[in-house]
Amino acid sequence: MSIDIENLTVTYGQEKVISGLTLNIPEGCFFTLLGPSGCGKTTLLRTIAGFIPAAGGAIRFSGQDVTKLPPHRRAIGMVFQDYALFPDKTVNQNVAYGLRARGETGAAAARKVAQALERVALGHLGDRHPAALSGGQRQRVALARAMVIKPAVLLMDEPLSNLDAKLRIQIRETIAELQREANITTVFVTHDQEEALAMSDLIGVLNRGAVEQLGSPQAIYARPRTGYVADFVGSANRFVARLTPAQGGLIEADLGPVRLFATDAREGAVCAEGLLVIRPENLHLSRAPRVGMQNLPARVRSRQYLGSRTSYRLDIGGDLNLVADAHGPGHDGFMPGDQVNVAVDPAQAQVIAA
Amino acid sequence: MTGSLRSPWFWLSLAALALLGLFVLYPLANILSASVIGPGESGWRRLLASPKYLEAIRNTLVLATSVTCIATLIGVPLAYVTARYSFPGKGLIALLPLITLVIPEVIAAQTWLMMLGNNGLITRFLRDFGIRLPSFYGWFGLITSMSFIYYTYVYIGVVAAIGKFDAQLEEAAQSLGTAPVMSRLRVMLPVILPAILASALLVFTMAVGNFAISMILSHRLPLLSVVTYQAAVAEGARDITMQSTLASVSVLIVMAVLFLNRRIVKRGRYEIVQGRGARPRPLRGLRGLAVAASAGLVVVISLLPLISIMLGAFTASRGPVMQWGTWTLDNMLRVFVTAPQPMVNSLLYAGTATVISTGFSAVVSYLVVKKPNLLTPFVDYIAAIPLALSGTVLGVGLLATFHGGWLPLSGTASIIVLAYVVRRMPFGMRNGQATLQNIPNSLEEASISLGVPPVQSFFRVVLPVMLPAIASAAILTWTTTVAELSASILVYSGGRETLPIQVFRLIDSGLMAYASAYGLVLVAVILLPIIVASKVFRIDVFSSR
Ligand SMILES: Nc1ncnc2c1ncn2[C@@H]1O[C@H](COP(=O)(O)OP(=O)(O)OP(=O)(O)O)[C@@H](O)[C@H]1O
Ligand SMILES: [Mg+2]
Repeated sequence: MSIDIENLTVTYGQEKVISGLTLNIPEGCFFTLLGPSGCGKTTLLRTIAGFIPAAGGAIRFSGQDVTKLPPHRRAIGMVFQDYALFPDKTVNQNVAYGLRARGETGAAAARKVAQALERVALGHLGDRHPAALSGGQRQRVALARAMVIKPAVLLMDEPLSNLDAKLRIQIRETIAELQREANITTVFVTHDQEEALAMSDLIGVLNRGAVEQLGSPQAIYARPRTGYVADFVGSANRFVARLTPAQGGLIEADLGPVRLFATDAREGAVCAEGLLVIRPENLHLSRAPRVGMQNLPARVRSRQYLGSRTSYRLDIGGDLNLVADAHGPGHDGFMPGDQVNVAVDPAQAQVIAA
Repeated sequence: MTGSLRSPWFWLSLAALALLGLFVLYPLANILSASVIGPGESGWRRLLASPKYLEAIRNTLVLATSVTCIATLIGVPLAYVTARYSFPGKGLIALLPLITLVIPEVIAAQTWLMMLGNNGLITRFLRDFGIRLPSFYGWFGLITSMSFIYYTYVYIGVVAAIGKFDAQLEEAAQSLGTAPVMSRLRVMLPVILPAILASALLVFTMAVGNFAISMILSHRLPLLSVVTYQAAVAEGARDITMQSTLASVSVLIVMAVLFLNRRIVKRGRYEIVQGRGARPRPLRGLRGLAVAASAGLVVVISLLPLISIMLGAFTASRGPVMQWGTWTLDNMLRVFVTAPQPMVNSLLYAGTATVISTGFSAVVSYLVVKKPNLLTPFVDYIAAIPLALSGTVLGVGLLATFHGGWLPLSGTASIIVLAYVVRRMPFGMRNGQATLQNIPNSLEEASISLGVPPVQSFFRVVLPVMLPAIASAAILTWTTTVAELSASILVYSGGRETLPIQVFRLIDSGLMAYASAYGLVLVAVILLPIIVASKVFRIDVFSSR
């Protein structure tokens, strides 16, 4: 089922948390709502579920208006941050709960329950109570419970945030696999950009209750449309720059002490000032200038060794600072105080509207 | 909150509000207004003109103040000693809360009389040695018996506060050069003072509202609850002016105390230091023995009622004269065979009230905690009002409100059940709200998201999780309603005597042996569910207290 949200407004008392939000999530899509704490992710998700009434606008599931439908009639599956397993019921009873509500009991239902638990590799724990499970196991039971009823849409609110880093990656894969197999339209809420990039077909970056940018993980990361998105997804060097058009569709950005050529990603908005955005991994360090790139002289100010890469903070004159990530063999070869060369490909430097 | 008119919870809240309005607010309003505009001369003018009523108010305040002081002086050291030291026989002190809970006040008063009354065991024993005790009726008996019942509330409150107190604070003060005793006083006292004051105020309100002991031991000493009761019984519900005025006086006293209490609790919240509690230090040698002996004495005195009614229930008597040493089963026979009606009534009324009160509290706490709407704050507030009403006040209010009129409950069993329910409901609410606050909303939403409608979700998911807490609340409600006397004695009618009422009447007639037998059965009826719950179902009844 596709989810179409049109001009949605949600209020808490007098405060408008979401105003006039429009969003289309295609059928079978793994959609992630990404944004910092308090931006309204949970609110939007719970409005889609029906737990929070919409103050205005409409929500449609495959064209059918569900705005006024109570949550128990929306055919949703939901996975909660705290798992919300029923503590007095066994794992089997937890998973069978939704089936029972649909009048499915007996051997057929038992088979579905067993299958659903098998899918999350918990077939052997059906008779345990939730209290006797680990956090990761609980999360997988919650997933099985939501999936077994074959919901039209699957809604998840930070389902991985209570797990440790390793487990998070493991369950992330389980979720993605199950979703693809069942082809269920999914809305996934997270404030972890890595999670969003790794799992999604489509990401909506939320800012104060509005969708700031909608796009594939690649588009969001490589072509952030605003400074907010550039900042929130990955890290980025951002500078306010004076702009002058240049040859070959490029644009010249004047940062004061240095000038750089960059790709114009302003999308039609023409203005004299803009934001120059360069990802740290797109700044290449070397001892000598490189051919075919723009080169800047810089001085290493400090460095952080991070195993697979080293992150350098560089002075490029004036008060300007750059963060550059070096990968590959010898990435930790520069020391504080070293004079280095920074090479930038104009295709990897972008100018967006300020 | 939009669309709340369509939600079932809104209508449920409205129903709860209507019930509370009818059975709590309306009687209270009746009392307060009748004191001013009731039939006859204004109640307040009559009050100010009557030396007896003014003396009753003064006596009550003096009594409550002395009882509060003595109870605090017993309770605080006992709490400190048990929290900080271990000594032989310390386990016995853990029994204290249980003892206050299971011994109805009317029985406590009775046993004090059986020990120290004019014809009491100890009185007669000492008389043989030529020692004459002062009469137990009046100030001596009132203060002694109330202090030895109410100190447990101070003990319970202060033990909890000391448990939370961080021993490091005390050590820090010592390391800065203060002597141990001084550092203890300087550092610990401010921290546990709110708890001491709060429990002292609780004792004060209970002493003001106390009916059973006041009635049995005051004799010719006028006390507020006694004169209120007498006004209500003498004038019935026809002239409600005076009884309403007297009831209003105690409402005002208790409200003033509750107001004080709120301020103390508010301040205290920031002062309680969370941290590692001190390990109890062992006390050995003479000091250990001394502490153990004095703590043991307190416990034994508290246990006295149980022992003496056990003896009394099987002791023969001729009229009011106990024939100590001559054993008989006649008294018990009377309870079970000749006149079993009080027992049957008690089981029936308290059982019904327990079911209603527990159910109502569970639903209403659910509304207040999980489904707040425009009405629930009022529901929450009104449901707490009975905390400020003594049983006597509540009885007067119910009697004045439901005598005749469009809802003539007086004279029926339902008004007794109603009195029970209204008195206990605030405690059930408090318990229910605490439980529900620990149940995450997501549990219910998970159920709804799986396709189960909201009301069914409550029954299938939330209720089972609440059940252990509800069970222990039900048991507490049972134990306290079975022992209820002060409200029911005002609203009961002939043939509807309960066990406490029967005990009270028998004591009034001086028939101590029969009173003991009914009292023993009463204690058994109270104890049985507690034992069954903790042994069979492993429910910790006192955790919710
Ligand atoms: N019940 C409520 N009443 C009033 N305001 C609320 C309520 N719930 C949330 N808000 C406000 O609405 C805004 C959005 O909250 P929401 O819970 O949707 O944020 P979120 O993006 O899920 O944040 P997080 O990542 O911290 O979970 C916040 O500013 C919050 O303070
Ligand atoms: Mg959230």
